[in-house]
Amino acid sequence: MKAIKDLYKAVGLPICLLIGFFIFIAVFGKYVSPYDPNAQNLLKASQTFSAEHWFGTDNLGRDTLSRLVAGARTTLFGVTLVLLMAGSVGMVIGTISGYFGGWLDEILMRIIDFGLSVPSLVVALAIVGVFGPDFWNMILALAIAWVPIYARLTRGVVAAAVNQPYIESLRVLGASRTRIIVKHLTPAALGSVLIYASADAGVLALNIANLSFLGLGVQPPQAEWGQMLVAALPYLEEAPRLVILPGLSLTIMVIGFNLLGEAIALAKNPRPMSKRRLFQRRREFLKEIAA
Amino acid sequence: MNISRRTVLFGATALSGLLAMDLGGSPASAADDPKTLRLPLARPAGNLDPQRYVGIFAIQDMIFDPLVQYTRGGKIEPALAESWTISEDHKVYTFKLRPDVVFTDGEPWNAEAMKWNLERWMPKADYNWLQVSANLDKIEVIDPMTVAIHFKQVTPTALIEFSYVRPVRFLSPKAVEADGSYKSPIGTGAWKVDSDTPEGTDLVTNEKYWGVKPTLDKVSLVVIPDARSRMSALLAGDIDAAGGAFIAAISPQDATTLKSGGITIVTDTGTDTMILGFNPRRELFKDIRVREAFNLLIDREAICAALMKGYATPTMNLYPDVIAYSGKRFDIPKRDVERAKKLLDEAGWVGEGTRSKDGKPLNVELVISEDAVANSRALGEVLQAEFSEAGIGLTLRNVDHAARHGDIPQFKYDISLFITNGAPYDPYNTIGLMILSSIEPGTDGKLWEDPVVDPLIVKALSASEAERAEAFQAVSTWLHDNWAMAPLYHAQRVWAHGDRIKAFVVPATEYEMPIKGISL
Repeated sequence: MKAIKDLYKAVGLPICLLIGFFIFIAVFGKYVSPYDPNAQNLLKASQTFSAEHWFGTDNLGRDTLSRLVAGARTTLFGVTLVLLMAGSVGMVIGTISGYFGGWLDEILMRIIDFGLSVPSLVVALAIVGVFGPDFWNMILALAIAWVPIYARLTRGVVAAAVNQPYIESLRVLGASRTRIIVKHLTPAALGSVLIYASADAGVLALNIANLSFLGLGVQPPQAEWGQMLVAALPYLEEAPRLVILPGLSLTIMVIGFNLLGEAIALAKNPRPMSKRRLFQRRREFLKEIAA
Repeated sequence: MNISRRTVLFGATALSGLLAMDLGGSPASAADDPKTLRLPLARPAGNLDPQRYVGIFAIQDMIFDPLVQYTRGGKIEPALAESWTISEDHKVYTFKLRPDVVFTDGEPWNAEAMKWNLERWMPKADYNWLQVSANLDKIEVIDPMTVAIHFKQVTPTALIEFSYVRPVRFLSPKAVEADGSYKSPIGTGAWKVDSDTPEGTDLVTNEKYWGVKPTLDKVSLVVIPDARSRMSALLAGDIDAAGGAFIAAISPQDATTLKSGGITIVTDTGTDTMILGFNPRRELFKDIRVREAFNLLIDREAICAALMKGYATPTMNLYPDVIAYSGKRFDIPKRDVERAKKLLDEAGWVGEGTRSKDGKPLNVELVISEDAVANSRALGEVLQAEFSEAGIGLTLRNVDHAARHGDIPQFKYDISLFITNGAPYDPYNTIGLMILSSIEPGTDGKLWEDPVVDPLIVKALSASEAERAEAFQAVSTWLHDNWAMAPLYHAQRVWAHGDRIKAFVVPATEYEMPIKGISL
């Protein structure tokens, strides 16, 4: 409870409401959305905003609002899965590497560095290309592509903690290796991983949309924002709302996650520059340009 | 050197300004010329060798002439052959060549040039999808302006085939390298290539052309790969017209948008058919009840109205009525989910949710390819929803053009969308290549295969003129009565043009540019 309170204090009401809203519609979307997101009615295709269909219907006569809600579910479900998979595997690799050090660390980190040097989306594209386009393949591909990030992060935290006096004293006291790793090192790394993940969720949401936009991720009829975007492109002139609405939803979600991650990071690790100092710097910069 | 952020910003702004000026400046010059027609191409013209399947058909058609010309409705008219006679047994075609015709490089058109051209491709395995190549016995030069072509067996399709674009058109015998390989696009046609780059192709009139000379001086073809950019170019007046399935296709949605933007939309009855084809080698589809059920689940009227925006007519026929010998029109069944469910039950596919038989669920994969068959994704989603109502699980597999050309002939699909060949190839090609099982599947694959229908097709393909209508009807009736495929609609042929064009005529086939009958 205290953790949640702390989080709320650190993040602030607007961001909490925003993220809470997305999580709410993702979880309870089935009950709040007015129509079945996949139910077509070709006779009512491409209708504009109305009391019956708040956000209108798409080219196949499906309710846009319901599809947006279903899209939030797909995206958040995907993001959660990828973060869980990539985070846990990354943490295991990072902890092993950081705790044991030596040649094992060298080998693991070179592999991870290789993984980091290739853009994650390219890795994901290659994996989906091999296994074929499918929702689960996309999740797997993104998870594999994201593992190196979390492994590197965890390794850094663990390697720094391993040499701290309290770990030394645990060793001297005769604590087992498992106990040190599970009880002391993992919690230390978990904090950093969670902070990173909260900001990373936005990037992942964007990547899920990217892959689906390219036809490599979520397959029809499952609703997903990236897919809604690509399906709506031919109707850009006639019905711009079909493009704008999923695009806007995605933008708001990504911004929400970024703000969340930033707020948490700021609370955990306050930056030296205050707001006043920031404004001062800005003024100076403007003067410099004017000169 | 110390480069400040401001310098970089200034530089970037200046550069983008310069680039924008260049972009805005270039197309204006062509617009001023009253005798230049500007059309878009979705891709560069490519290698224009008339014996290769690479270049854009419509450009090859402008440069290279056929022996005989296909006109609207399948009528054959003289072109490089002034007249012809067909022997009693339909095995010898004697062509009297048009005199005083020269290629644009000055080479004369005569029996030697004709023989040289024909020998480049007939009889060779790559071209044996053409009856004239597969059945060729010998080419006989009777005199410098008369050539007789002897076939081993009756070849009633010969004249139609000699009107095709490739590989049957005529290249100047001097337009090749020493080893006989193609060098440059030199023909006898109304147009000759002025410049040919990946950005576009310019053609100018051939002043030595034997026929009616075009009223235009120049046709400027600009490569604009993106459909959206083509629409903006048309709306802005940078191009004069757009359309043609293989030139710069306009989707029904694009047509609707352009129409509201004040662009004139010209349509013509389509010569092809969009068909949902069943994989004939899948056990599932060997059951006629399953095929009928699939047919009954499709709401053809709604697809034409909503998805095709009215630019299509629903059908149950293999060919639209503009194709010769397309025969009697079949009634379009009303969508009947209950009857479809009953048929599937009878066929042993039962259960709640997704049906199953012997523990195997009724999951079917529809292979779609947006770049091979435009609009196929939306169509796939509609079929997905319509089939799921009767407990059929349909997954969509979206592939690119190349993958489709690989998977379809190898029967790696459950169901897929096919388009018949259309004019001038039909009624012969689609049944001959895509249904007749003795012919290896080409890149278009097979619509259906059955040893029972094979003799009917063979009979239709070799029938004499008097028997042809009846023979084609037999094939078409068999396909319909056996629910061999699920024809969906005949899409209309759509062209759009701006105000600069005063009169516009949709060309006879999808393989021609809309130049005849145009006036600026």
